[in-house]
Amino acid sequence: MSLYNPHAGRPQIRIARNTVLMIILLAFALATLFPIYYMIISSFGEPVEAGAMDYKLVPSSFSLESYKFFFEFSEYTYRWLLNSLIVATTVMVTNVLFASMAGYAFSKIQFKGRAAIFSLLLIAMMIPYQVTQVPLYILIVNIFEIQNTYTALILPGLVTVYNIFLAKQFMGSIPNEILECAKIEGCNQFQIYFRIILPLSKTVLAVMAILTFMDNWNTFFWPFLVTNSMDMQTIQVGLKNFRFANTTYFAPMMAGATISALPMFILFFSLQKYFLEGVTVGAVKG
Amino acid sequence: MMKKKMRVLASVFALSMALTTLSACGGKDDKAANVDDPNAKDTITALLPPVSANFQSNFDQMAKEFNEKYPNLTLKIEPASWEDMTQKLDTQVNAGSPPDIAFMGSDGISKYVQQGMLMDISDTATEEMLKDYDAAPLEYMKNGKGLYGFPAYMEVHAIGGNKEFMEKAGIDYKKVQKEGWTFDEFREAIKKGVVTENGKTSRYGFVFATAGVTSKDYLGILVKSAGMPSPFTQDLKYAYTSKNFLEVLKDIRVMIDDGSMPKELSSIDAGKRWNMFLTGQTMITGKGLAGFERSAKLNNEKLKNKDASAVKGSIPVDYVVLPVPSFAGAKAQSSVAVDGYVTFRGKKEPTAAHKANVVKAANFLSSGKIAATTNNELFVAQITESGRKAAESMPVDRDPDNKAAVETMLKAAVPARPDIPTDLGAKAIKLEDEVIVPKLQALIAGEITPEAMYEAVRTAAVDAFGEDGVVKD
Amino acid sequence: MTEYAKPIKRRKIKGDAAWGYAFIAVALLVFAMFTLYPVISALIISFQKYKPIGSEFVGFENYTETFKDKLFWKAIVNTVVYTVLTVPVSLLLSFAVSIMILPLKKKMQTVFKAVYYLPAVASGVALSLVWLWIFDPMPVGIFNKVTSFFGLGTHNWLGSSAYAMFSLVLMAWLSSHGTSIIIYLAALLGIDGSYYEAAELDGASFFQKLWYIVVPCLKPTTLFLLVTGVIGSFQVFQNAYLMTGGGPDNATTMVGLLIFNNAFKYFEFGKAAAQSLVLAAIIAVISFIQFKFLGKDVEY
Repeated sequence: MSLYNPHAGRPQIRIARNTVLMIILLAFALATLFPIYYMIISSFGEPVEAGAMDYKLVPSSFSLESYKFFFEFSEYTYRWLLNSLIVATTVMVTNVLFASMAGYAFSKIQFKGRAAIFSLLLIAMMIPYQVTQVPLYILIVNIFEIQNTYTALILPGLVTVYNIFLAKQFMGSIPNEILECAKIEGCNQFQIYFRIILPLSKTVLAVMAILTFMDNWNTFFWPFLVTNSMDMQTIQVGLKNFRFANTTYFAPMMAGATISALPMFILFFSLQKYFLEGVTVGAVKG
Repeated sequence: MMKKKMRVLASVFALSMALTTLSACGGKDDKAANVDDPNAKDTITALLPPVSANFQSNFDQMAKEFNEKYPNLTLKIEPASWEDMTQKLDTQVNAGSPPDIAFMGSDGISKYVQQGMLMDISDTATEEMLKDYDAAPLEYMKNGKGLYGFPAYMEVHAIGGNKEFMEKAGIDYKKVQKEGWTFDEFREAIKKGVVTENGKTSRYGFVFATAGVTSKDYLGILVKSAGMPSPFTQDLKYAYTSKNFLEVLKDIRVMIDDGSMPKELSSIDAGKRWNMFLTGQTMITGKGLAGFERSAKLNNEKLKNKDASAVKGSIPVDYVVLPVPSFAGAKAQSSVAVDGYVTFRGKKEPTAAHKANVVKAANFLSSGKIAATTNNELFVAQITESGRKAAESMPVDRDPDNKAAVETMLKAAVPARPDIPTDLGAKAIKLEDEVIVPKLQALIAGEITPEAMYEAVRTAAVDAFGEDGVVKD
Repeated sequence: MTEYAKPIKRRKIKGDAAWGYAFIAVALLVFAMFTLYPVISALIISFQKYKPIGSEFVGFENYTETFKDKLFWKAIVNTVVYTVLTVPVSLLLSFAVSIMILPLKKKMQTVFKAVYYLPAVASGVALSLVWLWIFDPMPVGIFNKVTSFFGLGTHNWLGSSAYAMFSLVLMAWLSSHGTSIIIYLAALLGIDGSYYEAAELDGASFFQKLWYIVVPCLKPTTLFLLVTGVIGSFQVFQNAYLMTGGGPDNATTMVGLLIFNNAFKYFEFGKAAAQSLVLAAIIAVISFIQFKFLGKDVEY
């Protein structure tokens, strides 16, 4: 029933196999995690300038100064976190909703121009944002005149081609027979989408949710462009204020980076249920 | 079939309608001063980076004081970090809606003039305002005949040494501070600064940050004292094809080959070399800014108090301001950076009243108390009368020799070149970024010879400016 | 698709088409406004000498200049090298890791996923500072300590043409798999158990199952990761921008960086737009090839 032999009768073999796998994974994880490890330990250093930073693997002192420094650095720190939360959450929800709808249409519904429209979406994705950024800025700031609002932060990311593509690829592998059966039973497309596609896609939707949230939580440039007062900045934009003329406050910046990574962890573990539940198409097929 | 086609058509139509209405409602000007009344209410926007550590935290105070001085005016300050501020400004400029004022280096003025987005304030700035500023820095805010803002400070790009190590190496630094030095004297001095232990260099004579784009500063500072104060000669010929340029390139290599500078120089960045300076791994470092004296003092203080946040492995250091040596018998000229409050315009021609208001704001920010406080914090000289007056009551703990050395260098500051046409300036910048900097990195890394680099620069220069547009000597 | 299903489907098409358009309506509207409109603007700008006030039409000049520009082609070559070295390796690594995570207990699965995902969560700027330290050219640098321990000597990682690109590639190998691993795992969990069951009845080994079931079933996912990976890699510029500035001697200048410089440093927005469109065309061709080879029998 699975890729791996369950070794049902002999648990020792399974344990031995999993241990070997864990060791390999752990070794790779260490290499991957090193920069993060360093980020976290140096966030507990003293808030000194980067030139004055000494690079060490094991912290010689432990201090929460940087975290204090970070929260006292600006009266807007909490506001930045809140702004990021509002923007990232909204964009996450709209993406899951609209990208899954579009993904379903592109993968399972026949309509004229489907392939052409989809190709157009993909090609637009291939144009570097450096060039589209100025026209987009003109649209939001000069035409809509909505700079420094949540709308300006949220609107361009409402639903991304990346997510539509992701949804399409996953939903493509849902067997057509299920949909045909539903249709024969009198479901319309919306009911199929809502009652069959969504439940079957919750793994990929959870993935999409977390990736989108993360992306928007981490995004720097767009919020930086369209905000012009401290109270509308997001955490990533606010963090940049730590970098001064010729110096950088190293530890507080790392503390900021750690703090801003924290919500991701919480989200990650709270969504884990969905990540780990395989979609049991077989059961539906019955 | 027909029905379906109609549906497609309808949606395409709806989409294009949506788009056209979007673009149709553009072009509105958000500036409040539509009436040309000097007393009308007006808002001035300013995009400002963290010029000094406490600069941004004073924004509210600054805006308040400005409003007290000019009750009909509001100063709206947008904060931005240094490294991203140019990109934000550039996006705003490209979109045709920059802020009224932006704090930036005067070297950027030419680029924005070419875009037609700067506001010439030469007819609006009053006599009284203008005479407050020192002439040399004010020149830097000009391009052609136009004046495009007010200077905030003029900072000398020098180098800095460790007093104790220089004394040990027998270098008369006080004399150098007063009279300068030639490259040969400098070369000998940094050779003497090298210390080796077990065949490994534990201290270099000279370390300059040259990683990535900082290599541009390195070359830029050196060539100024090699008879090339600007990329263009007085008769507007491109200067970096002169023999002296090759001399400087050879000297850059020689210092590394002597072992006075590390062979890994090409990836040492600003943070790294400052760390090397504080931990006694180099005798002299660059580029040196006046504020480094304060950073060094702070660290000394921490060492004395056994504070754990002192730089690990650091030693007490007395920072000595030193001039850059002169090359090939040329006169030493100090490279300076003039930063200031540059005035922008939007797509629409600004009204006279708005223009006058912007000038008031730029003047307010660049003189008097605000300038005095910021410049003191940065350890840079005041360049306005009002700033000097305001600074009298603010004590600064600066080494008198260093202060004098900076003043000497400021006297030999490279003069501004507002006469260089913007298209020539743009070509020179492109040549610098696409040929000089990459080749210089390769030269420092020991991958090409000085001659090869010189040849590459010469060829590219002839391509860009023609045989007659470059110096031949 | 089975033969008998076709007639049923065809009958349903007409009614479904309306649903199809309805389902993509919001996405299409957002796309048209915030992506298509900027792209079309960029297309128009690419035929202009752009200025905020008074752009002039210059025809194909920006394109002919781009094609003549040696640096552009060098940047394309650098980008292709970077892409070829990073994207397939990254895919393979992510695939291997997700296969290895699969049999573990659920708790361990989450832990490992979170661990691998972490670098994607942390701010790129903060991490680039750490990487600069790892690649410190002096003997105290972490990487130099490792290489000299193995008797390979110390190297000027980011400062020499010979190592700079390799250093960036290495950085990519060790940092950016989180997203692919999560997506692969989601796809792995979606494979219907009955396939394995059938294979087991035929006495298939682990590797046979891997090759005949997992690889084909993951094809749509691989295609997605490959296409988006290549697009991302072709547009990459942050790493080069933060770590090497494109140097030394343009050894790490990527097209993304070049376009960025043209658009903002030199204010040649028209040229930047033209270069972007050329770049997009190149990516489109590559993606088309990928679709051609991997896109077949994806739908069933």
